[in-house]
Amino acid sequence: MIRTSRRNFLKVTTLAGGGLMMSISAPGLANLLGSNSIDLAEINSYLTIDTKGNIVFLLTKHEMGQGSGTGLPMILADELGADWNKLSIKRSDYDSKFTSTEMGTTGGSSTIRKMWDILRNAGATAREMLKQTAANQWNVDSSELLVENNFVINPENDARLEFGVLASAASKLEVPESVELKKPKDFVYIGKPVKNLITHDVVIGKANYGINTDIEGMVYASIEKCPVYKGKLKSFDDSEARKVKGVIDILEVTNVKAENASLHVQDGVAVIANSTWSAFKARKRLKIEWNFENRNSNSLSNLKETFTKNESEELEPRYMNGNLDAVKKLEGHEVYSASYDNPYEAHALMEPINATAHYKGDSCEVWVGTQSGQRATKAVSDVIGLPVEKVTTHVLNSGGSFGRRYYVDSSMEAAYLSKKLNKPVKLTWSREDEIAHDYFHPFQRSLHSAVISQDKKIVGWETKMLRTDDYASGAELYEIPYYFPNVKTSWKQIESIVHTGAWRSVSEHSSCLGRESFIDELAIKLGENPVDFRLGLLDKEIKLSDFKIADDLSGEALERQKAFAERIRFYRSLLQDRYVAILKSIKEKQWLDEPTSKNKGVGLAIESFGRTVCAHVVNITMDDRTVNGFTVDRVRGIVHCGTVVNPHFGTGQIEGSIIYALSALQYGGIEVEEGRVMRSNFHDNKLLRIDETPDIEVQFIPSNEAPSGLGEPGTPPLAPAVLNAIFNASGIRVRKIPVLKKDLVLKSAQVS
Amino acid sequence: MAAYTLKVNNKDYTVDVDSDTPLLWVLRDELKLYGTKYGCGIAQCGACTIHINKLPIRSCCFPISKLEGKSIITIEGLSENGDHPVQVAWEEIDVPQCGYCQTGQIMTASSLLERKPNPSDADIDRAMKGNICRCGTYPRIKKAIKEASKQIAS
Repeated sequence: MIRTSRRNFLKVTTLAGGGLMMSISAPGLANLLGSNSIDLAEINSYLTIDTKGNIVFLLTKHEMGQGSGTGLPMILADELGADWNKLSIKRSDYDSKFTSTEMGTTGGSSTIRKMWDILRNAGATAREMLKQTAANQWNVDSSELLVENNFVINPENDARLEFGVLASAASKLEVPESVELKKPKDFVYIGKPVKNLITHDVVIGKANYGINTDIEGMVYASIEKCPVYKGKLKSFDDSEARKVKGVIDILEVTNVKAENASLHVQDGVAVIANSTWSAFKARKRLKIEWNFENRNSNSLSNLKETFTKNESEELEPRYMNGNLDAVKKLEGHEVYSASYDNPYEAHALMEPINATAHYKGDSCEVWVGTQSGQRATKAVSDVIGLPVEKVTTHVLNSGGSFGRRYYVDSSMEAAYLSKKLNKPVKLTWSREDEIAHDYFHPFQRSLHSAVISQDKKIVGWETKMLRTDDYASGAELYEIPYYFPNVKTSWKQIESIVHTGAWRSVSEHSSCLGRESFIDELAIKLGENPVDFRLGLLDKEIKLSDFKIADDLSGEALERQKAFAERIRFYRSLLQDRYVAILKSIKEKQWLDEPTSKNKGVGLAIESFGRTVCAHVVNITMDDRTVNGFTVDRVRGIVHCGTVVNPHFGTGQIEGSIIYALSALQYGGIEVEEGRVMRSNFHDNKLLRIDETPDIEVQFIPSNEAPSGLGEPGTPPLAPAVLNAIFNASGIRVRKIPVLKKDLVLKSAQVS
Repeated sequence: MAAYTLKVNNKDYTVDVDSDTPLLWVLRDELKLYGTKYGCGIAQCGACTIHINKLPIRSCCFPISKLEGKSIITIEGLSENGDHPVQVAWEEIDVPQCGYCQTGQIMTASSLLERKPNPSDADIDRAMKGNICRCGTYPRIKKAIKEASKQIAS
């Protein structure tokens, strides 16, 4: 029996016009904006049941293709015992009561994971109150009753009462302190391929996205941005641009800033017109002078040189176990090293970045597809100088996001323009804007070293990470799913030449490339099977006593190492069973043992994202008639993510992640010359197409554990699995992506 | 600007725009038919696909001045009740993730099936490779086209 205590969590009142209204309030759901009392953080009408039994669920999470608008109500409906056909969702505007983690921000593959308990408790509580109402009417014990498809049923006499009939009376009962949750075997919707609630609107062309926003009296805007990152506007001549029919106004976009300095709005010149096309067209006729502030000497090749210069620098260690430096020097021990590059990558989401804003003097409305209504609201309030309570952000579905719409630059720009013009402004970025002014996946170089003892054991592991972004603080955790007795990790931030941000699976994607390639290299070097080699590194339960913290540490340094050890032990304890289950399953299926003919290869990689673990086994063919010199023929993914709420969506997320990662592997990497991004659209920032898509098979390890997230975990292991397969086929070790034909040249030293 | 008349989904419209205005922006900004999507503006992604005389056309590169006398069908006019076999199959297979590119995918697929009611995998690849889906729904698009083909045959 699962019981839960939810003091102050749920409040039930009578719905206007009859029925039941459930609100959620709890200190844990309090907002982070600081303007509301934490105790009063209450989200009204989270769930309503009217007198006809119609159920409305308030969707506070962003829908960007991951299925949140269907997956979340499935969880609620299952516990409630609802008839799926009587349930609808209502999209919520961002409310400053929503917290960052549970309500106000969507990201980190956390939507289902974080809402699982909340929704099950809410659904079960409403169900028990409806049951109790029926029990009171029938004068029976509520525990004897069943709930099914919006009905409370007495199995004794088959008496039935619909939710709608019960809802008003139920709303007057006391909210139970604790309720029993369903057992997984009794789930009706969870675990089933329930159809996506957006599909019908999508196929008839009525699905709404930010870019479809249409406000009475709005004007259309497009901004010619400085082509060099952080360059400044010096002056401009708009006389030719103003001659384009439909142009209303032209104004500079400078100094648009939010308190959060990581939200960058590039300087530019905005054309305001009576249609998007007129604004696009007029932009081309602007004559603009920029002040590049020497940033036009930045290039990718210079950046790589900077990386190389930093490779040999002795960095302050982050996490240390044992004494890596000492075992390196031991007689007869070999140090084996390799370095791996992850380039800048663009998001290239299908719906170009946009936002519509209406500044009204004392308030402002924003319409935008965003992963963070909270960040949009706060940044807009900073830009226009109104308190957050005066800003309403209408969060619309978005056409793909992958981390990009966590950044709210377009909302800031639209609000800035609307305030200047004092009318509603719809801002649309062109595809060229979207590629050139992305918040790119950071450039990362991972340097790995292993110390191999005389008896061919890995006794030491070192990771040095250089990255153009600061979100590597937890890197030591991502680096060490495997146990080594001597470890040293360090990292350094290198100043970026373009803006960077979160890109599907964030740092796991970059870190997995090096780690899982290097593990493969080590397995081959030691003559071991890649699955057995990994299992060997996971074969024992790690206790805190296994961590050997250097004797000479004290004070803060000692405490830091103790904290690292505890965190690593904790994550390891959460993840180890999942790694082992997946690897054993691959071994059992003999996916890596299948005979491969000439030019064919198979490769494996495995990675965790949060608590979810995913492995891919990839089959490739070397073929120099193709663009990349090889084809990816087949990808088989195995995932352990706890309960899969909707297997159709789950499989889709893994398939999509594989295809997303393959685009980066075959065509990714942003070139920068003279400070400018050298890609502009889909002809040079290529994405995988239907005819290049391999056969994909996705399996889930059966589990009744709580769901741990699926939007991102399929991305990281793809690239290293392909690189490992290329080595398996050809003996060529590629240590970067994208993999180009020119990288596939056999160097004699690479043959193992 | 000049006035242009055009027939969209069997309805006549007159719009007052520059001659180089792409059909895409006429559909979206003038006629408020938002089912046709802007993706790239250079006929590389297929999100803006519509039918002109039953052929799939990228509306982002098709200027209004070349449309005289042509019949345009957008996703909103593909079927009266959203029940074109391709739309039905798309719902049956539950293809979309974010859904943004899917109207373009459906317009390209329905045109393929018009020409080839029983397409091979290679036919599907050839016809559909001009339509990008960043969510990676390609396996399901392929399945749905085969499903639609079955429905058309029966």
